[in-house]
Amino acid sequence: MTAKNNFIEFSRPFIEAAKNVFETMVFTKLDPQKPTIKQDNRSKGDVSAVLGLNGEVEKDGEKRPYRAMLVLSWPYDTYFKVASAMLMDTFTEYNDEIQDVGGEIANMIMGNAKRDLAGLGYSSNMAIPSMIEGSGHTIKYPDGTIVILIPINSAHGPMYMELCYSEA
Amino acid sequence: MALNANMKILVVDDMATMRKIIKNMLGQIGFKNITEADDGATAWPMIENALQTNEPYQFIVSDWNMPQMTGLELLKKVRATEQTQKLPFLMITAEAEQGNVVIAVKAGVSNFIVKPFSAQVLKEKIDKIFN
Repeated sequence: MTAKNNFIEFSRPFIEAAKNVFETMVFTKLDPQKPTIKQDNRSKGDVSAVLGLNGEVEKDGEKRPYRAMLVLSWPYDTYFKVASAMLMDTFTEYNDEIQDVGGEIANMIMGNAKRDLAGLGYSSNMAIPSMIEGSGHTIKYPDGTIVILIPINSAHGPMYMELCYSEA
Repeated sequence: MALNANMKILVVDDMATMRKIIKNMLGQIGFKNITEADDGATAWPMIENALQTNEPYQFIVSDWNMPQMTGLELLKKVRATEQTQKLPFLMITAEAEQGNVVIAVKAGVSNFIVKPFSAQVLKEKIDKIFN
């Protein structure tokens, strides 16, 4: 199996985990759109949660190290609505109270995806999420990785999931 | 057994978002006496102080992954201390792997919950601990 095929297989648990997290904690359904290859490092949103993952993938009796990154980005308006739903409060500006909402969502998605990835032969160690905020901010992807961008629609507005993956 | 709305509860999580969510859910269930700590390392002295002032915590709800003292380390301290040996302890984690459950059970966790979860699931877990 090629790294490209592994990337497709690797992506699915993240989509399923995101749907589960949003239905349970944000009380909304996600509608993922067609993935595309991202060509630049500029975020599609104003607030991004970034979470790294690394480990080993075992396929056909062979173990290879891999590294990956999950990025979730929201336009401000979507982020405020998501934070308001999740925290049962009303937020209309970015502040300390909601700054780790994105990181917690990324954490839950990664934690859930990790379980399903284990069943596909991936052992994995999660990093700690970090947040980037600001209109037009950029994301630093690991060198030499392909980034797929998955636009996602929801009742709270659009958001974006990005995944990058590479095998050594 | 009916749950005591005034039960003294300590919510331990390094993420303010999750502390607020858990507090909201506990409030929905009917609990009113809820205190927060942002790490196991912050929680342990609070648990000790509460013992000294004769107002011990009656229930701990703790995240697993925290930077200074993990929920598992906190649980082990709680179980190794005579006065808190039987203190009900609910562990919350984002990592859904079966291995984690086994580790927590061996360390004496009262119940275990995997994120994401609803207030209803939290209530069911609490009911199982106290009934």
